[in-house]
Amino acid sequence: MEDDEDEPPLAVAITATVDHVISQPSDTFPPVGVTVITGYLGAGKSTLVNHILKTQHGKRIAVILNEFGEEIGVERAMINEGEEGGLVEEWVELDNGCICCTVKHSLVQALEQLVQRKERLDHILLETTGLANPAPLASVLWLDDQLESAVKLDSIITVIDAKNLRHQLNLHRDSSSFPEAYLQIAFADVVILNKVDQVMADDSGNILEELEKEIRDINSLASIIRSTRCQVELSKILDCQAYDASHVAHLEALLEQNKSLTTRELHDSGVRTLCICEPKKIDLDKVRMWLEEILWDKKYGMDVYRCKGVLSIVNSDQLHTLQAVREIYEIVPARKWRKDESQLNKIVFIGKLLNEEVLYDSLRACTVDNC
Amino acid sequence: MAGGGADAVETAALCCAKCGKPAHLQCPKCVELKLPREGAAFCTQDCFKASWGSHKSIHLKAKLLELSPGNEQDATSPASSWLYCLKKGQARTLKMPNFDWTGTLRPYPISKKREVPAHIEQPDWASDGIPKVEPNSDLQHTVEIKTPDQIERMRETCRIAREVLDAAARVIRPGITTDEIDAVVHEATVSAGGYPSPLNYHFFPKSCCTSVNEVICHGIPDARKLEDGDIVNVDVTVYHKGVHGDLNETFFVGNVDEASQRLVQCTYECLEKAISIVKPGVRFREVGEVINRHALMSGFSVVKSYCGHGIGELFHCAPNIPHYARNKAVGIMKAGQTFTIEPMINAGVWRDRMWPDGWTAVTADGKCSAQFEHTLLVTETGVEVLTARLPTSPNVFPWIHS
Repeated sequence: MEDDEDEPPLAVAITATVDHVISQPSDTFPPVGVTVITGYLGAGKSTLVNHILKTQHGKRIAVILNEFGEEIGVERAMINEGEEGGLVEEWVELDNGCICCTVKHSLVQALEQLVQRKERLDHILLETTGLANPAPLASVLWLDDQLESAVKLDSIITVIDAKNLRHQLNLHRDSSSFPEAYLQIAFADVVILNKVDQVMADDSGNILEELEKEIRDINSLASIIRSTRCQVELSKILDCQAYDASHVAHLEALLEQNKSLTTRELHDSGVRTLCICEPKKIDLDKVRMWLEEILWDKKYGMDVYRCKGVLSIVNSDQLHTLQAVREIYEIVPARKWRKDESQLNKIVFIGKLLNEEVLYDSLRACTVDNC
Repeated sequence: MAGGGADAVETAALCCAKCGKPAHLQCPKCVELKLPREGAAFCTQDCFKASWGSHKSIHLKAKLLELSPGNEQDATSPASSWLYCLKKGQARTLKMPNFDWTGTLRPYPISKKREVPAHIEQPDWASDGIPKVEPNSDLQHTVEIKTPDQIERMRETCRIAREVLDAAARVIRPGITTDEIDAVVHEATVSAGGYPSPLNYHFFPKSCCTSVNEVICHGIPDARKLEDGDIVNVDVTVYHKGVHGDLNETFFVGNVDEASQRLVQCTYECLEKAISIVKPGVRFREVGEVINRHALMSGFSVVKSYCGHGIGELFHCAPNIPHYARNKAVGIMKAGQTFTIEPMINAGVWRDRMWPDGWTAVTADGKCSAQFEHTLLVTETGVEVLTARLPTSPNVFPWIHS
């Protein structure tokens, strides 16, 4: 650039907008959903991401590729916006904020910056590598509604290689270490059973059914989708609203199948799903303490990974939803009970060393007749 | 600084650099280089042409700054004094950065980095700005129960921190700069044998935070003089005998209007009420409920982005204690835990914005914000306020009858 111009250039009009940081007021747009995509290397995570981006859907989707080490942080993210079939790659430097006394983790702040930079982002995919356990990520992304954040955790999707699943689950059967596969399945809202073509080529459909049963034994709340090269219908994996307290319909349908949700045969991993039911109304304070003793104090020695439920609270005409990821939990009134509904308490636990009898009895202790 | 109406865009106040008439044009090179419009705006092409000879030297100066890595002056270069802070403290710049400022306050240049004598024990970020032990510690996930020895050290350190804050309180007056307040805090801390924890913490450039009017927290001490009517929070943390003590108070500068007085008093009461519920068995979540109730009742709002925190051998650790209601904070108070409660209460909306320096948090609507903080110890029966006022503490709060 030459500085020695003798002739001045043409002056430009000053526009009303300032050329630096302008943030969109977040309350004019609904929060952007964040989908966490996890799974073993080679299972098909990248294939899934590419499929989502390439499908003609008219949505602006950003993909963040992240290497998670011991710390959850984002320094650089590649934004891949699939717009009308075109892929635009852009390396974005994100401000690595310090965690000191801030409520929002630096990852969340980075994602919010992303939403505020771009016009109308419809969804964010967070593709993880090297992350064995998605729980810490879920905790970080599952924000209090009060924060009115520009981003919202939508779901955790685990991609599984059907060909290798058995092997991966067997890998540690004889050793003491805990396979990542169990954790990734336990915390998933959606499981994509990928590469089914490679399995069916060798055998009949039985293997797939067996695999699905193994997955359901660990986590019967997750929806399982079979796929080849991750060609999945977008409506099944985006906008799941799996952490939305007010999104009850999905939860209720799930809880309709009461009996079938409880794992009957204990999986070798010890991770299973358990559904308990209580017809009497329960006291809100007591059930909070009950849950805190289980989640925070590890009372009864149980290791709970996830918990979802519908509660019937005494002195309330509202159906309450319960959601928990590790120690973080939330009980929120969701909607009025309908006149024809049977107002039952139904709670599903996913975890290790779950004791059905103890859970039934201790929940019963929270009913109002029992003082 | 930039005049104009409270919420008017900066352009409304711009005058032609040549003749002083209202200006609506600016130099395209300045736009390209993202230089400020003040002094670089013109009313006509003719005035611009006439000024060109002297005006283009601004581009040269900016170019010289561009030549150094990262586009701004390196913060460690010897000439880095009285420059504006950028990149969380990692860089300095000659010009005030562009921003859609939410209120009337602006950043001012900051002074050179202050030294701490070598014999004083320093936390691991003092040398390079990066905490190493803290982010990887287990104490980010579990709340520590302090040993009697740790508790005794915290009592001592918190007392020093209290005395340092009191020293700052005594110099608050119209005309003093926040940089001079920082000097007082720095000197008092070092004289007591302590290290001012904020100094170089994630590159923070000064020894305390000074937050004026619409600044919510983490304001950086600079060359701005306090004005009659301002409110200013001074946040002090001292590191001594291996532990940190953290407290802050909001002070009146000269004659403060009634609305701001009410805000500050309400904030004080929010902290007081929160402390009154602290005892073993109480959920951390409850703190936010108490604060929120009192603030909202008085017509104010609660800042949600910053929270109270565990403290001890680490500056910030578990638990996280939000100040707003309906939060999902995990855990129950137990005897032996030490943490801070530090509500930030706003006169207007609760939302916050960040200045270009990467630290200063301001209210989104430019209205005032106040804060108070204590370091607390949960005892078997209740709470001990480790940073409590002393009989010698200056009597600057009219509602405290001492």
